[in-house]
Amino acid sequence: MDLAYTTEQDMLAESIQRFIATEYDLSNRKNLVASDLGYSAQHWQTFAALGWLGMSIPEAYGGLGGDLVDTMIMFEEFGKGLVLEPTLSSLVLFAGALELAGSEEQKHHYLPALGAGDLTGCLAYIEAGEPTNFNCVATTAQKTDDYYQLNGTKSVVLNAASADVLLISARTEGQEADARGISLFLVPRDSDGLSRKDYPTVDGLRASEVLLDKVRVPASALVGAEGAASETLNAVINRGILAISAEAVGAMAVLYQSTIDYTKQRVQFDHPLSEFQVVKHRLTEMFIEYNLAKSLCMKATMLLNQNSGDAQRHIHALKFLIGKTSRFVGQNAVQLHGGMGMTEDLAIAHYFKRLMMIDATFGHTDIHLDAFVQ
Amino acid sequence: MWTQRGDWFKALADQGGWDIPKWPKEFGGPDFTPTQRYIFDLEMGKQPTPPQLPFGVGMLAPILMNYGSKAQQDRFLPGIRDGSVNWCQGYSEPGAGSDLANLKTKAELSADGSHYVVNGQKIWTTLAQIAHWIFCLTRTSSDGAKQEGITFLLIPMDDPGVEVRPIITLGGSHSVNEVYFTDVKVPIENRVGEEGKGWTYAKGLLAHERSGLAGIQNSVMGLEKAKRNAQKIRVGAGTLLDLSSFKNKVGVLEAELLALEFTEMRTLARVAAGGDPGPESAILKLKGTEIQQRITELNLEAAGVFAAPWGAEAFGPDFAHGAAQSYLGGRATTIYGGASEVQKDVIAKNVLGLS
Repeated sequence: MDLAYTTEQDMLAESIQRFIATEYDLSNRKNLVASDLGYSAQHWQTFAALGWLGMSIPEAYGGLGGDLVDTMIMFEEFGKGLVLEPTLSSLVLFAGALELAGSEEQKHHYLPALGAGDLTGCLAYIEAGEPTNFNCVATTAQKTDDYYQLNGTKSVVLNAASADVLLISARTEGQEADARGISLFLVPRDSDGLSRKDYPTVDGLRASEVLLDKVRVPASALVGAEGAASETLNAVINRGILAISAEAVGAMAVLYQSTIDYTKQRVQFDHPLSEFQVVKHRLTEMFIEYNLAKSLCMKATMLLNQNSGDAQRHIHALKFLIGKTSRFVGQNAVQLHGGMGMTEDLAIAHYFKRLMMIDATFGHTDIHLDAFVQ
Repeated sequence: MWTQRGDWFKALADQGGWDIPKWPKEFGGPDFTPTQRYIFDLEMGKQPTPPQLPFGVGMLAPILMNYGSKAQQDRFLPGIRDGSVNWCQGYSEPGAGSDLANLKTKAELSADGSHYVVNGQKIWTTLAQIAHWIFCLTRTSSDGAKQEGITFLLIPMDDPGVEVRPIITLGGSHSVNEVYFTDVKVPIENRVGEEGKGWTYAKGLLAHERSGLAGIQNSVMGLEKAKRNAQKIRVGAGTLLDLSSFKNKVGVLEAELLALEFTEMRTLARVAAGGDPGPESAILKLKGTEIQQRITELNLEAAGVFAAPWGAEAFGPDFAHGAAQSYLGGRATTIYGGASEVQKDVIAKNVLGLS
């Protein structure tokens, strides 16, 4: 088994590392967090020019046709820089769903523009009824003649405020928690009856509550077969789990390394903290747990890449382990930095908050542990 | 219900010093036995009563009572008791965290012996921004062991040489600060006890602070609340509390809390029998704060993605809005008042005799 990255993959990682080193220090990031858009439109164009946006888009639609390993590499590097740009919502979730379920016409219309950075999209799939279950959909889509009318509320929709188009799950038939009867619709941001309540998130991103009041979309807005969106949602959410797990792996790498650096220079009781055995062992444990999480992230990515029947189980195991390890590494990074770890002036706090929300996204540790042992 | 916190504390005072349950009788306290005080704390912990800032009533007052002059007691204790004067604690410094005795803030006695001139910096000073006074450990001598040569001073915050700079902590809140002293003149009558004995005075206080940080009753109630919160979150046909992976964590916490409550009782029994709470109080701080943090994790999990909204408006279940804030802020509990690693050293050295 060859686990080495290709030359192209190494170059991909290096190009993102260079970008982060020059453009993404903490103060630049803080400025972006505080800006109107919440990220940099200019960076987004850079991402497009460097081929990162088109990486996972098939060549037939103007992309580079990369696989999930490429996505994993990218998100690991994005995680190291706490990148704010909407790669998860626009590419993994929105473009991913279109690639999996869209018609040829829809793919030709959207995918090249997404890869070129001319358009962004997002996926609205969470509802308050049962937030950890994407099959729990109370939002309805009623078909009348040649259009659908959508009514309901979608919650914590990542990057909804900046997205040109929203891909929204709504029920065309069945009961609230039925897997059957869910459909996906392309809804332009300025549609009549669509309103948003936008807010910043604790980890520096943007999200919205999206309210749909008699929103009319043409029949051509339906993505995939009517009532069959559960499978598509499951598939893109699996990819999303891989992406944010890789992001967490990148963030944890920074956390354990900066904690090593800090404890080497912080002197208490006339010795650097790193000379105390309890600290040495803790740092070693952080390194060990980080490595296990990274291994499982790689394995789950390979299995999903091969469409293995064992992939789903590994994804549940991965999301559980990422949450558990993120907490261990994050909490110890803060603890070993002492009071300094608690300040917003240090990057530690920002990695810690992002890891906290990665754990909550797509279902937290207990949800996935439970699914894994089922 | 008490509409004003002032009314509440007055009502407590009218009961015969219930506003200052730990103060001895000669200073107006209720003279509770250790058992009575435990019961008092337990019952108070069950009600959502207005909190009292600990710095004056709980931290400085015992030092003034034990080591302060009569003049200092008469001057400062009334304002501490009625809450009209806010205090903050000036101990930690950038180079003196866990290694507190390493502090460098310098206090030089003037040639005529009438005052000290203080220069230096404190950090992690909780609520310095609303404090009228700060009680400080300062260095008056660098000879001998670093625990010697530390002097306990009381400094008004409105002195032009005192500057407070906010520190924004994880989660965006402002409760801690840096405090800078530049040529601050502190009259000799603001020194508590003898010069060079400040460490001894403060050390007794640290044990005091420690045992108060376990927050066991808060955790008992907090865990019940977390269970109710989890029951509001639908998972499949049941709620989050029915999910075995979640339920097991709740069970583990409940069992540990039962044990910790009785550990506190054992400590209390020793004190009631005339003994010293001893270094075992470190167990209470260590486990108590860990448990507090794990309870915030349960709420965070229950809040799920609804922990994310960070604007003024709340979405999702009612408890979700504060869940991230509590989890983030709660990380400090195993750092302040002696980090967990230091507490373990205390137990290893003073209880187990491992030097």
